[in-house]
Amino acid sequence: MRETGATDEGHACEVVVAGGDGKAAAARRRRRLELRRLGLAAEDDAAAKRIRSVKDGSSSDDSSTEVVPRSWPACVSHGSVSVIGRRREMEDAVAIERTFMASTGDGAGAIRGGGEGEEDFFAVYDGHGGSRVAEACRKRMHVVLAEEVSLRRLRGQSASGGDVRWKEAMLASFARMDGEVVGSVAAAAPRVDGTEPSGFRTVGSTAVVAVVGRRRIVVANCGDSRAVLSRGGVALPLSTDHKPDRPDELERVEAAGGRVINWNGYRVLGVLATSRSIGDYYLKPFVSAEPEVRVVERTDKDEFLILASDGLWDVVSNEVACKIARNCLNGRAASMFPESVSGSSAADAAALLAELAVSRGSRDNISVVVVELRRLKSRAA
Amino acid sequence: MEQQEEVPPPPAGLGLTAEEYAQVRATVEAHHRYAVGPGQCSSLLAQRIHAPPAAVWAVVRRFDCPQVYKHFIRSCVLRPDPHHDDNGNDLRPGRLREVSVISGLPASTSTERLDLLDDAHRVFGFTITGGEHRLRNYRSVTTVSQLDEICTLVLESYIVDVPDGNTEDDTRLFADTVIRLNLQKLKSVSEANANAAAAAAAPPPPPPAAAE
Repeated sequence: MRETGATDEGHACEVVVAGGDGKAAAARRRRRLELRRLGLAAEDDAAAKRIRSVKDGSSSDDSSTEVVPRSWPACVSHGSVSVIGRRREMEDAVAIERTFMASTGDGAGAIRGGGEGEEDFFAVYDGHGGSRVAEACRKRMHVVLAEEVSLRRLRGQSASGGDVRWKEAMLASFARMDGEVVGSVAAAAPRVDGTEPSGFRTVGSTAVVAVVGRRRIVVANCGDSRAVLSRGGVALPLSTDHKPDRPDELERVEAAGGRVINWNGYRVLGVLATSRSIGDYYLKPFVSAEPEVRVVERTDKDEFLILASDGLWDVVSNEVACKIARNCLNGRAASMFPESVSGSSAADAAALLAELAVSRGSRDNISVVVVELRRLKSRAA
Repeated sequence: MEQQEEVPPPPAGLGLTAEEYAQVRATVEAHHRYAVGPGQCSSLLAQRIHAPPAAVWAVVRRFDCPQVYKHFIRSCVLRPDPHHDDNGNDLRPGRLREVSVISGLPASTSTERLDLLDDAHRVFGFTITGGEHRLRNYRSVTTVSQLDEICTLVLESYIVDVPDGNTEDDTRLFADTVIRLNLQKLKSVSEANANAAAAAAAPPPPPPAAAE
């Protein structure tokens, strides 16, 4: 993987997508090939050579000077990409809100110390049946969450502890968000042309939300988007997809009186291929809007976090995604494939993952957020 | 079980009283009976609507515009009529529509043929002839009947092949789910239309008190 021969031949030639000439097409073709090679190599590595990646990851390069207590900068850098892919409509949405609590005027947390109030908010929403619920989540979820968190902080429930407070705030926020989109259906009278707003009843969105603080990461998930943490070179999923055939989800749906059948994939009532989502009023209560929340304490092995829609995860495994992202963030991908990989930022990593998903035949919208938790790149690179 | 009754009970699951069913029994016999062969299944669903039959029929008969009362449709285009080049929007039996389905569903397109459009008896039928979905040889009939002065009863039935790998129950679960949702939407659209028509026919309400 390291010595692939495609090193320094064309430094000066930046690929600019301009005319439809053969040269550009050739460049695109090469780019696709290189991407595929990167993906395949990562797959080999992930399968056989985990040891090396762990070694790479724990080389604690630039954090060596600091004796880390239990607090890190919330996030070193972040980047995202959201592409329509082969679909006719774009129904994914991404939200990134740095220090999202600041907007609520919640100074109290910050004063109390421990980095409260400095958390960053990241989310991927994968809409279906239209983009409106995903868009509503993009505009509102972080606002609602900030309110719910500050409400609990002001109440000062120290007994329940931070983790419980976060879980409660996430649960409350998803319920409120679901209520907002359902409420907008109830409030609106059907129009004569019938296309709206009763069509709104059949619109929904998955949501995976990550709040990255200095000491902990809180992930709330509802649906089949996913959050994966790269910790010491190991891909650690922080959410579990809500597929209708997941045994506990199947049980929940059937207990609520619904059914799951394999109708071009497992689907609730033969219709929806996720068992939880925001919206989808017509499938309540079988399809639930309640998120599963996970709180993880940060460690100095944590490298980055990937949030993505199933447009990525359907064709790229957690391990390969982390491998690719880390090879991008540490600068190796850019030095190997200077024409294809423009840099080593979190945005470059997100773009690389989305392109890999396209090249592997993903037919869906693809959204990827990469949150760099500590620098992987050596300063020289 | 072999009791001979004057009025047989309505089919289970239809949600109709014996009295209501007696009113539409002739319609059921005439339009909603299928010869179900092996590997096929069929179903009949009913929906009460508080609107005049004419208001409901006006929505149902629009073969060119099913999205008015059906969920899950992104767009619908009527194919040009090969036999009549005078008017592109005449709804004659044999005409085809191309339906495009919204995302997230186990279908993407559907080609459908109008079989029957009887304005006098309010009977509508179509067949699915192609497209990307799992409803092979789907044929459906919808009838609009008057129950009493304020209530209309819509009946919708279908016959369809059971796809490989699925049971009759699976097939009915899927198709019934979609039809039930559509009938509910038909109810809300028809009732809204009827209310709007009634409001327009009534004398205008007194002007609101002058605002501050």
